[in-house]
Amino acid sequence: MASATGVPASGDPAPATGAQGRRGWSVGQGALGLFKRFLTLREGSIIVVTVIVALYFAASTDTFFTTENFKTLLPYFAPFAILAAGEVFLMINGEIDLSIGAVYLFTPFLFYELHNGGVPLLPGVIIAMIAAAGVGVINGFFTAIIGVNSFITTLGTLFAFEGLTLIISHAQPVATPGAQVTTTTVNVEHVVNGHHIVLPETVNHIGTFARIFGGGTYSELIWALVIIAVLQVLLSRTRWGLYTVAVGSNRLGASEAGVRVRLVIIRNFILCSTCAGLVGILEAVRATSVQPDTAGANAILLEAISAAVIGGTLLAGGSGTVVGALIGALFLGILHDGLVLQGVNANYLALYLGLAIILAMVINTYVARVRTGSGLG
Amino acid sequence: MSRACAPGLALAERPVPAEIVVGPSSAADDVLRVEHIAKRFGPVTALRDVSLHLRKGEVLGLLGDNGAGKSTLIKILCGFQKPDSGRIFLHGKEVELKSVDDARSRGIETVYQDLALVDELSVFHNMFLRREHVHHPLPLLANHLMRKDTRKALDDIGINIPRIDVPVARLSGGQRQAIAVARTANSDADILLLDEPLAAMGAKEGSMILDLVARLKREGRVSIVMILHNYIHVLEACDRVNMIQDGVIALDKPTAETSVEELTEIVVNEYRRARLANQGAARQPAE
Repeated sequence: MASATGVPASGDPAPATGAQGRRGWSVGQGALGLFKRFLTLREGSIIVVTVIVALYFAASTDTFFTTENFKTLLPYFAPFAILAAGEVFLMINGEIDLSIGAVYLFTPFLFYELHNGGVPLLPGVIIAMIAAAGVGVINGFFTAIIGVNSFITTLGTLFAFEGLTLIISHAQPVATPGAQVTTTTVNVEHVVNGHHIVLPETVNHIGTFARIFGGGTYSELIWALVIIAVLQVLLSRTRWGLYTVAVGSNRLGASEAGVRVRLVIIRNFILCSTCAGLVGILEAVRATSVQPDTAGANAILLEAISAAVIGGTLLAGGSGTVVGALIGALFLGILHDGLVLQGVNANYLALYLGLAIILAMVINTYVARVRTGSGLG
Repeated sequence: MSRACAPGLALAERPVPAEIVVGPSSAADDVLRVEHIAKRFGPVTALRDVSLHLRKGEVLGLLGDNGAGKSTLIKILCGFQKPDSGRIFLHGKEVELKSVDDARSRGIETVYQDLALVDELSVFHNMFLRREHVHHPLPLLANHLMRKDTRKALDDIGINIPRIDVPVARLSGGQRQAIAVARTANSDADILLLDEPLAAMGAKEGSMILDLVARLKREGRVSIVMILHNYIHVLEACDRVNMIQDGVIALDKPTAETSVEELTEIVVNEYRRARLANQGAARQPAE
C-alpha cells in the first residue's frame, strides 16, 4: 500500500528495492496465496502429487505420454474410480463396505448363470445389478437396523458372496456372455507398385453390448467419468449428499434434526454395492472371461479403498469427495503403470506402491493440517 | 421411592416438607399439554409422572437439577423419544409424536443441548437442515436462495456471523448456539423447545439470545419451553416456571410470584429429603 504512493512505510526493511521489487514480491505472494487456496481444496493436495508423479514418469520414460500408454493405463484406474466413488459415500457416513470385492466377483457370475438360463443380455445385466444392490440392502440392514458394526457386517458378506461365487462357478472360469470376439476375414484391396492386389485380412468384432459394457476401449473411462460426475453432484448438490455428510459428521445431531439416519446409511450401502456390481460386469466384459479369483477380488477392494482415502476422504467419516476418489484412482493407476514402464522388477512393485501410498498420505495430512490450521488465509 | 421411606422422616433434625407433585392443570388457550408422562431407561427412571401445560405466546421456564429429567422431557416433546405412558395434547387434541419429523410437521421445533449442528456443513446448510430449498424439477439444492434467506434471518435476529458459507466447526460456541436458536426461530413452528440455550455462551451472547426470546414473545406467534440453569435468567425471561425434580414437577408458578430464594429452597429441600431417604434405607447415621 505504502509503495503505491511512493512513500516508504516507516520501518520498511528494504525501501531501496522500490516499487518494482515490491510488485514482484506481491505477485509472488499472490501466486503463493492462489496455490495455498488451491491446496485448501480437498482434492488439491492429491492433484499436485499426481501431477508430480506423472511429470516424473514422463521425464524418465519415453513411452509414458503416448496414446497407447493412456489406453494401457485406463483399466488400471477407471474401474477403481467407480468402486472408490461408491465407497466414498459410505466412508463419509462413517461406515465401510468391505464386500465390494465380493460383489465385483459375484455379479458377473450371476450374469453368466442368468444368461445360461435364457435371460437376454441386457435384462441379465439389470437383474445382476439388482442382486448387487440387494447385497447393499443386506449390509445396510445389519449395519443400520440391527446395529452390527459395518466392518463386521461387510466382512461377513465379503466371505459369504465370495463363497457363493465359488459354489455357483464350481471354481471354474467362464466366458462372459455377450463379450465374444468374432473374427471375420475380409478382402482388402491394396495398391502395391501400381498393381491392385486383394489380400484377405482378419478383423475382430465385438458386439454393441460388449462395446458399451466395458469392451470398447474408452467404455470404462466414459462410465467412470459419467458416474463420477453424477455422484459428485449427488454428494455436493442434493439432500442425499447433505444428509450423508450430516450423518457422518454428527450422527446424533443429524437424527435430532430429523434426518433419517438409517435410511441414509442403507441407501449408501445400496449405492456402493451397485457400483461394485457394475464394475464387475464391465471388467468381465472387457476381459471376455471371469476368473473366480477371490484373492484378486480382495486386492481390488483394498485398492478401491486406498483410492478413496488418497483422494481425501476421511476414514473417520464426515468428509470426502468423489472427484478426489477419481484422482486417487488415477494416482494409483499412474504409479502402477509408470513403475511397469520403468521396468521395475515385479517383486518390487507392491513395495514401491505401498511406500508411495504412505508418502502421498503424509503429504495429504500435512496439507489438511494447513487447511484447518491457517484456514483459507 | 421417597414416599416408601416416609418413616425415615422421624430421624430428621428438622422437619422436611414432603414431596410435592403438581398434578395436571390447564388453561383455555393451551397450545401444549402433557399428562402423566413417564419414561424409564432400563433401571433408571427419568420421568415418573410429569404433567405440564404451555399457553399460547407464553415462555415457560423449566428448571431442575442435573439428571432431574429436563432433557428427557424435551426429547419426548420433540418426538425424539416415546414416553412409556402418558398423554400429549396439541391445541387440545391428543397426539402421538411418532418422530422428530412428525413433531416438526405439527409445529414443534427444538434446540437441543448438543445443538444438533453438523460441524462439516456450512452455516446456511445447518440453518436449513431438513428444510432445504431445492430446485425443480431436478431436486438440486438451491444454495443461493438458502444463503440469502440465512443472511436475512440472522440479520433480522441481530446475530453477527460474518461468513455463512464456512463450516460451523469454525464458529465460537456462542455463535453456534445462536445459529441453533435462529434455525428454530426461523421456522414456521409455533412451539419452540430450547434446551439450555445459554450454555456455552458469554454474557454478551447470552443476552443476545434472551433478547431474541423476548422479541419472539413480543411477536406473540410462538410459545416457548426453555430449560435454563440460572434462576435469574428464568425470572427475567419467562412468564412461568416449572421446577422438575426427581422425575416429577414440583413447582408451577408464574415468575412474578416466585423468587430465587423460593426456587433455591425447593432444591435444598429435595437434597435433604434424598439424604433422609438414604439414611432411612441404610439405617445408619449420616457422617
